[in-house]
Amino acid sequence: MSEKAEVWQGTLALMVLKTLETLGPLHGYGIARRIEQTSGDLLIVNYGTLYPALLRLEQEGYIVSEWGVSENHRKARFYRLTRAGRKRVEQAAREWDRTASIMGRFLAPAKDAL
Amino acid sequence: MRGFRAWWVRLWGVFARRQWEGRMAEELETNLQLDIDDGIRRGLDPAEARREALLRMGGIEATKENLRERHGHPWFETTIRDAAYACRTMRRTPGLTATVLFTLALGIGATTAIFTVVNGVLLRPLPYADPGRLVYISAKLGHFEGFSGYTQDYPAWRKYNRTLSQIAGYRMFEANMAGGEGAERIHCGLATASLFSLLEVHPILGRTFRPEEDRPGGPDVAVLSDAFWRSHFAGDPSAVGKSLTLDDRVYTVVGVLPPSFRIPDRYGVFPYDVWVPFAIGENGKARDIMIHVVGRMRPGVSIAAVEAELTGLMRNAVRNGVRWKSAQAVPWQEQVASGLRRSLVLFLGAVGFLLLIACVNVANLLLGRSAARSREMAVRRALGAGTARIVRQLLTESVLLSLGGAALGLAAAHWTKGLVLLAIAPKMPALQPIGLDYRVFTFTLAIAVVTGIAFGLAPAIAASRVHLMESLKEAGRGVTGGRWKGGFRSALAVAEIALAMVLLAGAGLFLRSFLQLRGIDLGVNPRQLLTFDVSLTNSRYPKPMDQARYLERLLEALRNVPGVVSVAGGNDLPLSNGMMTFNNVAIEGGETVPQVRGVIVSSDFFRTMGIPLVRGRVFTPQDREDAPSVVVVSQTFARQFLATGGDLGRRIQNPQKDNDWLTVAGVVGDVRPSPESEPGPMIYLPYLQPAQQEVVRVGVQFFSLVLRTSVPPMSIAPAVRRVAAAIDPAQAVYDVASFEDVRSEWVAPRRVNAILIGSFAGLALLLGSIGIYGVLSYAVGERTHEFGIRIALGARPREITGMVLRSGIKVVACGVGLGLVGSLALARWISAELWGVRATDPWTLGTVMAILTAVGILACAIPARRAARVDPLTALRCE
Repeated sequence: MSEKAEVWQGTLALMVLKTLETLGPLHGYGIARRIEQTSGDLLIVNYGTLYPALLRLEQEGYIVSEWGVSENHRKARFYRLTRAGRKRVEQAAREWDRTASIMGRFLAPAKDAL
Repeated sequence: MRGFRAWWVRLWGVFARRQWEGRMAEELETNLQLDIDDGIRRGLDPAEARREALLRMGGIEATKENLRERHGHPWFETTIRDAAYACRTMRRTPGLTATVLFTLALGIGATTAIFTVVNGVLLRPLPYADPGRLVYISAKLGHFEGFSGYTQDYPAWRKYNRTLSQIAGYRMFEANMAGGEGAERIHCGLATASLFSLLEVHPILGRTFRPEEDRPGGPDVAVLSDAFWRSHFAGDPSAVGKSLTLDDRVYTVVGVLPPSFRIPDRYGVFPYDVWVPFAIGENGKARDIMIHVVGRMRPGVSIAAVEAELTGLMRNAVRNGVRWKSAQAVPWQEQVASGLRRSLVLFLGAVGFLLLIACVNVANLLLGRSAARSREMAVRRALGAGTARIVRQLLTESVLLSLGGAALGLAAAHWTKGLVLLAIAPKMPALQPIGLDYRVFTFTLAIAVVTGIAFGLAPAIAASRVHLMESLKEAGRGVTGGRWKGGFRSALAVAEIALAMVLLAGAGLFLRSFLQLRGIDLGVNPRQLLTFDVSLTNSRYPKPMDQARYLERLLEALRNVPGVVSVAGGNDLPLSNGMMTFNNVAIEGGETVPQVRGVIVSSDFFRTMGIPLVRGRVFTPQDREDAPSVVVVSQTFARQFLATGGDLGRRIQNPQKDNDWLTVAGVVGDVRPSPESEPGPMIYLPYLQPAQQEVVRVGVQFFSLVLRTSVPPMSIAPAVRRVAAAIDPAQAVYDVASFEDVRSEWVAPRRVNAILIGSFAGLALLLGSIGIYGVLSYAVGERTHEFGIRIALGARPREITGMVLRSGIKVVACGVGLGLVGSLALARWISAELWGVRATDPWTLGTVMAILTAVGILACAIPARRAARVDPLTALRCE
């Protein structure tokens, strides 16, 4: 079995937002590549999942998109974070931290937990 | 919050679909190109790079489909597509569509119209601030429901209660107002100063009463209604400060109420024109009179707490250890609506039947069409549509139809609102303008959706039950749709006729009640009779004899008016609400009469009214103070109390004068006080032998005059006013009307029942016959082929006609039979609204059955004749 895992929906949105926060406006292809790279190629991003997620974020007003020109001079659709999107990243990151630390404590080799 | 935004964006997405599709395709294409570019940069040759990129991309169509799902509202889009398709289908059968829309518009429109009134009268909160906390307070006597409050209890209630933040009392009265051309009778109200502040009514001009103004001996101030201010002061703002004379008392106008202000009274909405302060004295000796009491509950207080507290404050609350008098509080809204609820529920029920018939009719029509569309359904099935999908599509169609019908119905209800109100007005006066508001819209929308599903479900399920192979094979020839469908359609037609029968029976019964009531002989001759009232101002005519003298002069003057044949008067005419009864009247050498109705009349009364003299004599102008006291009795009185010992010359104790006996001078025909009541025992007293001052109860301060005329009665009304003004310009002549008008006014509420239920029944009859006509003509169309063969084999046209007619008559007979059962079952429910006819009246039910059967057979006859005229050649060529 492959070690690569598919990204699941809930976290994908956060990853997209975080990527856009770090790198600024970016097209869909770039976002997918970047997420895979950041994960150390442990994740693969399925376009069938990514594009609906982008559409949803756009409908919710966290990101906006417009046509632009890519680094290799191709016309591409660029996504950009909105103010609401920035706030959302902060908030989601905080929530994620908390969840991760709680889960971490549960899953850590228990000395005094029991 | 974000979810809501996304929902909206998606809704827009529904409409910007095409443009977005392009963007999506382009974006995915760019993605692919970028991937290929990347591959080439990594050193792959273009073909290899392209292959890898495509692999990574995965199924593009699947991605697009995912995006589409997310982009718009798929459910919504399907509905829109179905609706658009439905519109195209409907356009192809304009006749059917129009019939369906018309039927639904009738049903929904009638329901909406009635609901509009129900809404205005029963559901809309009273037009005052915070109406939910207003209660109507009355006194319960023993176990009798509270009817009104009393002045005796009010002061203690006002002073000591803690459950109400405010309490107010009011009542109506009428007064003579002297004016330029004779006096006018004015509708007035007595109100405690708290009334307007309790209702939070703010005057448009000046002020309302101050708290100190409703005490005994307070100032004579008046607040005007907007209408009165406009009619009598020309809407002049300087009216405030001017004066007004009511029954010789001068009031200063201090304010004008807003035009929207109405206040309920027991008999509907009394048109209060002038309000004066109501000084409800705290001394217990004052006369105890009935008043309306309303209170505003403090927050958090229950009605039960109000009742308990006010009961504790009542005098005579306990009698013989049993609670005799207690306070009853009900939400004011409920009190206002209570009298009207029953008839409104009756109308709503009737109109509900009509709606039901409309639904059944439409279901029937659609069922017919679904047979014609079975090929279409079969094709859909074959292409993979499931039952749910087909039912959904057809329900979208039917709901669309019902929404269309509802829109038409709403428009119809809006236009006919005035008519319905006009018809209903004698029964229910409106406290606030009645019109279409959001409640009516919501109601109509709900009705439309529910009816759409109700009449659409059966045809939809029938259509989805299509047999694939058969339908496709039969290649366009009408498919019978099987026995099931034919039977079901007949059952629907039966239901329609049964429902129509119930409505017709109701209408017939109401019509009979009305006609019976209108045809009742009151015992007087109502033709060419003018009546009007005078109420003498007490300060000018304090003694009974003064009042009698005034009347004598008035009668004499009226006798000389051209066109007048004879003139008379009495203090209680039939059909007036006034009533004078005497209790425990002794008869010389006979029993004591427990209760008898008495009328004080002038000498020409019997001749003018057309009451026949049975024996003895009637009064003459010589029956005056100085002559021996006489009395005229009614036939019933003579029969009941004077049968033994003879009537003429017998003596009856004078109930109006101590130690005085009246000699019976004559016996006259019986008179009914109103069409609904039986003629009871009555005695007549001559007005020129007036009561003793101390025992006067009603006297002749109020007097109704009657004029027998040789010209149309109302034509002499101006002359009557002139004559009265010449005698005393301060006394008003009012309620001038012909006796026949008074009488038709009296039966008006019955007329409302007959007209409204009757028109619903008429519509039901129309829809019912359309229904059976539809079923039969469809069946005939289906069997054209069969009839062709029969005729070719020698069947005579008459036989064919008979065959079709028989199947139709079977349906009609079943419907009428079922309807009869239904009418009998509902009989008890309407019997309270009937008069003089039992709810199971065989004559009415028989007539209605005959009418329905006749109309039903007529509706069958048209398709039956068509069946007989089938040309065998054409019919067989159809194949």
